[in-house]
Amino acid sequence: MRQLRSLVLRLAGLFRKDRHDRELAAEMDSHLQMHIEDNLRSGMSAAQARRDALIKLGGVEQTKELYRERRGLPLLETFLQDIRYGLRMLQKNLGFTATAILALAVGIGVNTTVFTAFDALALRPRPVKTPERLVGVYRTTAGENHGGFSFPDYLYYRDHSKTLSDLAMFGGGMHVTTSDLSVASPEDVAHVAGAIGFHLPQLLQGSAQRLSCLFVSGNYFRLLGAQPAAGRLFLPEDDQLGAAPVVVLSGNFWQSQFHSNPAVVGSTIHLNRVAFTIVGVTPVDYLGTLSTVPVLWAPVAARPLVGDGTRESLENRKVAAGVVYGHLKAGVSLPDAEAELNVLAGQLRVAYPEVERNTGVRVVSERAFGHLDSDTWPIVAATMGAVALLLLIACANVASLLLARAATRRREIGVRLSLGAGRRRLLQQLLIESTLIALFAGAVGLPLASWTLHLVIVEIASALPSYWGSIALQVTPDIRIFGYTLLISLLTGVTFGLTPALQALRTDVNAALKDNGSMFGQRLSKSRLRDLLIVAQVAACLVLLINSTLLLRGSQRALRVDPGFDSKHVVHLSLEMYEPAMGYSQARLLGLNRQLMEEIASLPGVTSVTQASRAPISGGNRFVAVLAADAEPPANREGENRRPTTGYSYVLPNYFETLGIPIVNGRSFTVQEADTQAPVVVISEATARRFWPGQDPIGKRLVIGSVDARPPFAGEQVPFSPGSEVIGVAGDVRSLFLSKVDDSYIYVPLSQSRQWTSTLLVRTSGNTSALLPLLGRAVRRIDANFPAVAAPLDWMVSFDPYFVISRIGGILSSIVGTLGLFLACLGVYGMVGYSVVERTHEIGVRMALGAQQEQVLGLVLGESARPMLFGTVIGIVVSAVISRLLSAMLFGLNPMDAISFAGVSLLLIAVALFAGWLPARRAMRVDPMVALRYE
Amino acid sequence: MGERADVWQGTLALMVLKTLQALGPLHGYGIARRIEQTSGDLLAVNYGTLYPGLLKLEQEGYISSEWGTSDNNRKAKYYKLTRAGRKQLEKEAREWEQTTEILARFLAPGKESA
Repeated sequence: MRQLRSLVLRLAGLFRKDRHDRELAAEMDSHLQMHIEDNLRSGMSAAQARRDALIKLGGVEQTKELYRERRGLPLLETFLQDIRYGLRMLQKNLGFTATAILALAVGIGVNTTVFTAFDALALRPRPVKTPERLVGVYRTTAGENHGGFSFPDYLYYRDHSKTLSDLAMFGGGMHVTTSDLSVASPEDVAHVAGAIGFHLPQLLQGSAQRLSCLFVSGNYFRLLGAQPAAGRLFLPEDDQLGAAPVVVLSGNFWQSQFHSNPAVVGSTIHLNRVAFTIVGVTPVDYLGTLSTVPVLWAPVAARPLVGDGTRESLENRKVAAGVVYGHLKAGVSLPDAEAELNVLAGQLRVAYPEVERNTGVRVVSERAFGHLDSDTWPIVAATMGAVALLLLIACANVASLLLARAATRRREIGVRLSLGAGRRRLLQQLLIESTLIALFAGAVGLPLASWTLHLVIVEIASALPSYWGSIALQVTPDIRIFGYTLLISLLTGVTFGLTPALQALRTDVNAALKDNGSMFGQRLSKSRLRDLLIVAQVAACLVLLINSTLLLRGSQRALRVDPGFDSKHVVHLSLEMYEPAMGYSQARLLGLNRQLMEEIASLPGVTSVTQASRAPISGGNRFVAVLAADAEPPANREGENRRPTTGYSYVLPNYFETLGIPIVNGRSFTVQEADTQAPVVVISEATARRFWPGQDPIGKRLVIGSVDARPPFAGEQVPFSPGSEVIGVAGDVRSLFLSKVDDSYIYVPLSQSRQWTSTLLVRTSGNTSALLPLLGRAVRRIDANFPAVAAPLDWMVSFDPYFVISRIGGILSSIVGTLGLFLACLGVYGMVGYSVVERTHEIGVRMALGAQQEQVLGLVLGESARPMLFGTVIGIVVSAVISRLLSAMLFGLNPMDAISFAGVSLLLIAVALFAGWLPARRAMRVDPMVALRYE
Repeated sequence: MGERADVWQGTLALMVLKTLQALGPLHGYGIARRIEQTSGDLLAVNYGTLYPGLLKLEQEGYISSEWGTSDNNRKAKYYKLTRAGRKQLEKEAREWEQTTEILARFLAPGKESA
């Protein structure tokens, strides 16, 4: 108690020092006067009385010092003093301070960003009642240990397990469409994504909504301990075959579509034309066992109703219905549960030997989102290592900057040492300065990190079409992440502060006072490590920057490249639905399709409408084996499989005209040929050259496909013709990949009376974007259940994998490269600054002997130029190797593109020289007289 | 005079408290004088020992201070024992007596063999 009281008083003693000092002085003075008076009274002379009193009382100043120490807290006081002094020093060199803080802030910010993302993706516990007791139950067979269970198997485990209090099934999901809710307004397009050239097709205004619907067992929410935001969640009785169809909305969908209106509960929503009753709503951002927020939840038993499998497949032991989650009973360990479930698996093996052969059960903890198994660990470790390395480089450069500054402060430190300052105290002070920098950097880095994360997540979320569900990553840095940043800040503070501080303290007092940093002619204590660091940094930045420039210039070409068809006036429209689930007959679908074509053709501005099984540059590439009928037939069955393949598409006769692809020879199909799928084919020029070089291909025959070819998806038609007549040759296009003209492509007739195709291509004489809302309404007029997604054809470049890689890769590596360049410049700045201070003396002598300012500048810069040039050479060589590998993504740009190589290298050297020139100017201003005076 | 010893900190506190109990409110000079006189001039009290000691006692709440006027009409800071100080004095005095008693037993001749 007493100690606390005195601590508080001493803390208070840190303030109002002047008043306390004056009071003590007055008290001691009165003490002295009384003593003198007593001495006089005892008969001393005035002088003697005063002298005696002074001797007896001892040193006044020492007393004051002792008194002050007792009054305040000396340790804290010197600490505060050092902080004040440190802040003053940082303020004095604002440029240095800002640069160092920025460099470290970038390092810390990137580390915090990655850590937060890692935490959000992998470490965060699932939002469930008792995450530590949540387990995933997987079916294991030979070669598979993450398998799902069939519905009957799941029921068996659920009803017989005694170690798990409950087992719930997550039965996957599908997209359903609803005619009840149409898309009210154009969807938000991500600004950043749009700015860098990415446009994902969006649901059209007026079209049916496309909703992601997930199927869960009736006890799923109960097992996870979820509470409804409105209404109720599922009960086991909802999940019975034949039960009334019910659905639960996600809070996010409820908010965005129904403005959180509680009256929605109890109303009906049609999913794939089946009426479902909305019984409740999950909380906003509720994830369950998922990583994105779904739109709808439905019972597993409702799957056959919306066309996802049949009632029979749900009752079939051979068909996996979903993954299973369990909840451990209190006190049960994972191995116990696994052992028990394996006993149950054994019973199933006995009962159904043909289905359950070799099956077992694996139980794993599902406490957190991430499964950090042996596959993902290396990636995580590599990412963490890379960002840690970035921080290390930032620290190394700031350290070299501090070292340069420590050199300029050698005299100050020498003076303080010679005046009796303790080395410990000086060390403390230097460390406090660097810790301050680190703390400021942490303070800047934390908001920087949360801003970056926010930007990335919000951008990703808004770039994704809404029917993909929403992302609910918690990316606001919490207290743990703040602690992590702070720890990194402090560690870096001590790490980068210690070396220069120790070096500064090794100062020889005499030498420092005479300021003979380096004697003339004596070799500088050059740090080879520092040179190497510069070489490595310059080389690494150059590699990143050259390749990012190549990629960006290449992808820029992609936007301007002539694809061989007219992408500017054509809109790509696709009905994004799984048509077997819609419950229409084939005849009705085809009828609706014809009506839709007519409806769209009558829209203002539309000059032509066509259909194709696959539009150019929209993914979904399909290939088929082909052979000229007059060529040598393959010798055997082996050869049959090695026939050359070609890309193909089923198209209507007006496809070429609509897309502006010229028919360079012959003709397109007639309507009748198309409808009856006559054995005729239009081939690309490249195909003609390939099979009949130098000959007229018209009238030749082509063997397409083989009898036993398997379609990539069930129900998809694949071309087969033992001899199709070539009736036309179409101009070459870039249809498979934008980076090159198709090696070979054939067009086969599309029959509108036999084949359902969900892709339409609409040519307009007007503005393509203005056509989009008209198209949406047209689709709705024909059938309100069709979810229509559309985009001008030139947006479809976003689907070209090379474009995506070169754009994103180019942007990422230019960001990292620019950060790296900034850090490298810092290193150069520090190195040159240090050497200028070290050589002040030598420079003075040289100037006294008649050296010109330019020569001095050359001397100082030359030293840093060597590692820079060396790094540049390495960087160019490595880039040249890498750019060869990138050539596929450059859209015809020369991999040794002069602008990218020479331009970026020169720019980098210029920037780095500038960074060196800043401190080198000081060398030119050296006054020879001042420099020599200390000799 | 050469053999005059400086007071040790621990005992100074006790002496100050006892002085203030005996004489009532007193200024720093008076306290120093009284201690020197009581010790028969065997102890010397200088500023360096006295004032930090007084400050410590005040921070601990055993004494309180107040500016006043001395007999000679001189401004001086007067120190006064607080209630906590009185208790502390009793406690410390008792402890000190005990310590000296124990030490005395050790040092007393002949008792050991008995």
